[in-house]
Amino acid sequence: MIRDERIPSDELRRIDDEIRSGWSTGGDVDFEEAIRYHESLPASKRFADVLESADKPLLQPRAGVPRLDDQIELLEYLQDDGKADLLPTTIDSYTRDNEYGKAQEGLEKARETGEDTLNGFPAVNHGIEGCRELIDALDAPIEVRHGTPDARLLAAITFAGGFQSFEGGPISYNIPYTKRHGLEETIEKWQFVDRLAGAYTERGVRINREPFGPLTGTLVPPSIAIAIMIVEGQLAATQGVRSITLGYGQVGNVVQDVAALNALQKLGDEYLPDEVCVTTVFHEWMGGFPPDEARANGVISLGGMTAAIAQPDKVITKSPQEFQGVPTKEANAAGLRTTRQVIDMAIEQNIDIDGIAEEQDLIERETRCLMDTIFAHGDGDVVRGTIEAFDSGALDVPFAPSDSAKGAVLPARDDDGRVRIFEWADLEMDDDIKEIHKARLSQRADTEGREESFRMVADDVDAISDGKLIGRPQGKGGVGSAD
Amino acid sequence: MVLDTMSRTVVLGVIGSDAHVVGITILEQALSAAGFDVVNLGVQTSQEEFAEAAVAHSAEAVLVSSLYGHAEQDCQGFHEVLEEADVDAMTYIGGNLAVGQDDFEQTRETFEELGFDRVFDSETDPEEAIAALERDLHVTTSESEQVTVTS
Repeated sequence: MIRDERIPSDELRRIDDEIRSGWSTGGDVDFEEAIRYHESLPASKRFADVLESADKPLLQPRAGVPRLDDQIELLEYLQDDGKADLLPTTIDSYTRDNEYGKAQEGLEKARETGEDTLNGFPAVNHGIEGCRELIDALDAPIEVRHGTPDARLLAAITFAGGFQSFEGGPISYNIPYTKRHGLEETIEKWQFVDRLAGAYTERGVRINREPFGPLTGTLVPPSIAIAIMIVEGQLAATQGVRSITLGYGQVGNVVQDVAALNALQKLGDEYLPDEVCVTTVFHEWMGGFPPDEARANGVISLGGMTAAIAQPDKVITKSPQEFQGVPTKEANAAGLRTTRQVIDMAIEQNIDIDGIAEEQDLIERETRCLMDTIFAHGDGDVVRGTIEAFDSGALDVPFAPSDSAKGAVLPARDDDGRVRIFEWADLEMDDDIKEIHKARLSQRADTEGREESFRMVADDVDAISDGKLIGRPQGKGGVGSAD
Repeated sequence: MVLDTMSRTVVLGVIGSDAHVVGITILEQALSAAGFDVVNLGVQTSQEEFAEAAVAHSAEAVLVSSLYGHAEQDCQGFHEVLEEADVDAMTYIGGNLAVGQDDFEQTRETFEELGFDRVFDSETDPEEAIAALERDLHVTTSESEQVTVTS
């Protein structure tokens, strides 16, 4: 079984040669030449430096279209009209499945018809030259955002192509995205991605790595997300990565979200090695959005407010057209501007909300329980521990489609809208913490005059798109009725 | 009517390449709470996997979910596959069955023609599907079992 050990250089070279023969553009990668290209970039395009030196949250949207010219135009718009601080390039689904031939067909069709026949930018097909044309055309640093279980070739090409930030990880791009990729398999593949990022880092080109915090995007309890972020951060650090951005997705309760972001930074600093610079990213609500742009702007604004209080290093914004899928560039820029307006109005206020310290303490205790069980499952090795803990269910993610996670744990909101755990299944947790969750959920059940049941879970999943935070039974409960 | 105390087995899954898991997770909980034996095949399930599971567990109903808009394509020939495997079960389908087509009656007709016994839209509560299942399978369950999860 694989362990949390650094890939030796000869092994790195062997895998690299093998991977790059997978598609014609892979042959163009020349590591020394790539280092020289990165060194030629101005300071304003060095992702890690820009992110780590910022004095307030930087904003970044999601965006990716198949054609290079269109991608440049889209990112210029988001940079100029949306005032994005950091830019994305979202990769298409065929590339995520390593189907470069199908991506090529889609790209050629897009070039012929002018239509977006792929749902993102096929960076492997564009090759190093195409990637660099994009990097050269924009002023801000650009990150690769995707969802690829085996991202080795994508990393080899985009790193050489000038990108200095790469989203994803072996758990966060496996458990929420695919059914059949085993964890051991994705960990092994991401060890290569991280080792490659580490190889650039050793040469002075610090590639920023960003585990995907929101996971399944559906009522994920903060401690589960934070534990997985720490694990992926540790795996990346072992391979030599020195700039790591840990992620967290908004759940909508301001106290819990601020507490979770504080805990994420604190525990990240504590668990990851000192030589790693740990930053945080806050994702605006990843669940179902209201089918109404005005109400969607409300959801986005609450995210901006939360970011102003917690002050993460980066915020990934949503657009008011989230409900209907890929937004227009205008709507995408609008999401950036709405978020900026709220953050800039709120950030200089000294907003003090009761209960954040207490909630943060609870989240930290829960996360430590999960980290302890991971280390115990692996006799101190975090790779073995992660695989074994997912296998036993001691570590689990709600609504996980993957066969690698039990997906048996179920969340529900408490009477205050904080995400608690309703069904623990085999998740490892101290009994006194379980009692706290139970008491909070029981309080909600009393307010609503119904039993605790899966029905609450179902109601909560739909609540925000229906216009509320908590999925109350219709005509019952509501604000203040708990008092 | 005879009170049927035997537990009834239903097979549940998301068809095609679809990875939307929230709906079937909630449905699995609801069906179990209502006293059914649930075989949850999870996401990205092929027609053949539905048929094999229905045979292996002698399922009385096969519940298909689809959220990503390719349901019609994914269900072409599904009932022939079930028939070849000698599956004699009720078949339901539910979810976002036709993205961009807002006339649900037309969608219902399309899927009934494909052979489904019942067709549900994405706004359907689990209780509604369970009530239909209980009617179609002539199941009687006690009221307490219908509404709570045993803890």
